[in-house]
Amino acid sequence: MHELLLFASVPVHQHHELLQQLAGLTAMQPRHALERRLIFKAYRKPGLITTRTGGSQDLQSGDLQRVNKLLNGGMFYTQVVGPVSEADFKVSGVAPDADTQMAGMEDDSKSAPTQHAYDYEQQPWKLEFRDIPEAGTRSAVTSRVMASASMPRGDIVPSMNAWGYSFVTEYVVEGDIFLHNDITIFLHRVLHYPASDQESREPRQSLPAFSEMTTLEKSGSYVLQASINVQDGSNQETMKTASQHLFGLREQLKSAVKLEQADRLSLDTRAK
Amino acid sequence: MSTLSPDQIKVLEQSRQRLVQLTRSLASLISSLNQSDPLPQWSSLQSQASIISNNLISVSDHLTDHRDLLTSLVAYPGPEYPSRTQANTLEQLLRTKLDPRVEDWVARGRTAGTEAAAVSTSGFNPAISIPGSVAGHSTGTGRPLSEAQLAELWEWAPIEANQEARRRNWGGNFTLEEREQGIENVVTGLKKELEDDEGSSDEEDEDEEDGEEMDIVGVHRKSGGSGLEFDIAAHHAHAVQPVVPLGDILRYMTTGRMS
Repeated sequence: MHELLLFASVPVHQHHELLQQLAGLTAMQPRHALERRLIFKAYRKPGLITTRTGGSQDLQSGDLQRVNKLLNGGMFYTQVVGPVSEADFKVSGVAPDADTQMAGMEDDSKSAPTQHAYDYEQQPWKLEFRDIPEAGTRSAVTSRVMASASMPRGDIVPSMNAWGYSFVTEYVVEGDIFLHNDITIFLHRVLHYPASDQESREPRQSLPAFSEMTTLEKSGSYVLQASINVQDGSNQETMKTASQHLFGLREQLKSAVKLEQADRLSLDTRAK
Repeated sequence: MSTLSPDQIKVLEQSRQRLVQLTRSLASLISSLNQSDPLPQWSSLQSQASIISNNLISVSDHLTDHRDLLTSLVAYPGPEYPSRTQANTLEQLLRTKLDPRVEDWVARGRTAGTEAAAVSTSGFNPAISIPGSVAGHSTGTGRPLSEAQLAELWEWAPIEANQEARRRNWGGNFTLEEREQGIENVVTGLKKELEDDEGSSDEEDEDEEDGEEMDIVGVHRKSGGSGLEFDIAAHHAHAVQPVVPLGDILRYMTTGRMS
């Protein structure tokens, strides 16, 4: 599958306005999203991997084949993404950041009478592979090969190790998703876990209070990502249509944000 | 009467050429005034006027320089001249007095010239004088204002102009009188359509009143098209530009490292 993308940097002061503008444009309320993202890096030469390791039994054969294929392709960084909700974060006395409430989402952590405990063993995961964006395309959109596959719940590290991937780091992405025709608009930012004494070598079993999360970008700015997935990347016609749709969106948002192609090397997933 | 020397013929030829140039530039000014609608640019009119003025100067200089020769010359038809077919030209050539119309022009020019000279020698500003020819009278009735009259005019004019200006509500493309008579009938001489923006001024006033609560929105003309475009995100009271460039954020999201 191919993915066509445009990005824009959104200063924090513009975030609220842009949410409203996007809600107007797409005629939908934003869907708030919180994701744990684990970065894994290949450490083994491809071709040495056996798939008969524990942890992969849950996989359906189709998924298994796909995962095999994309993991054996080369040395790449890859991401494992797990959706979480704000209720999964530890409840603390501090009210959550006002900015996160703004999107009209329910404040679960305050209203829930029974404390919801985050269960790492039940955390669903999805493996998301992204290739380095295609080079030398004349079109002004970022286009890259992508694939994703669902993974077993719970501790993902043994499976990933078995495939030759080691855990690098993890962060949380917080944002809002809009759908505009065939375009997925994701207005998001990266949150860091609070600095702990020991550098974690594996994904966290529990989540800290949400208010303790700090933004990667100190000013709290957001990234606007507009993407279209194209099933058949070799079909020039559909690729062209998709990029034209993205250009249409860029034109519509021109006065608010400047959507543009990302620097190819900043999306380089190859592991050196 | 001796025949003309080659030099003298050359002088005659030169005067002919200069007169031809003068008539040509006059004709081009007249045709541009008559034919082009709307009127040509003021700058082009002015350049044409200065060309004509230069032509006049060169003709005048030339005639003055060779005054001796030109006054002593007499035209008469040679035996080989086709007087039957070219009778009109012959009559023009043999005329010793000016055409009555031309005599009027010359007389008017002379009076204007002597008056201007008199005014300028006595220290008056000749630009103020209003020659009758401009107003369309056949004879020069315009007299320059005396110094006292000028002073009176200058005292009166600024105050009166200011009062007149205060009586009007400035802004917009049309005056009240023009609007009452229908703005379609106004001859502006302009290519572009002027909009009557009287109707929208009320809204603007309202906008200005609660402008404090409103977001500042930049408006500019769409490039290459009609209509307006709004810069929704152009200004903000507490603008904080992102510190980390987009590329670094994406790199971190991809590899977990900033660089």
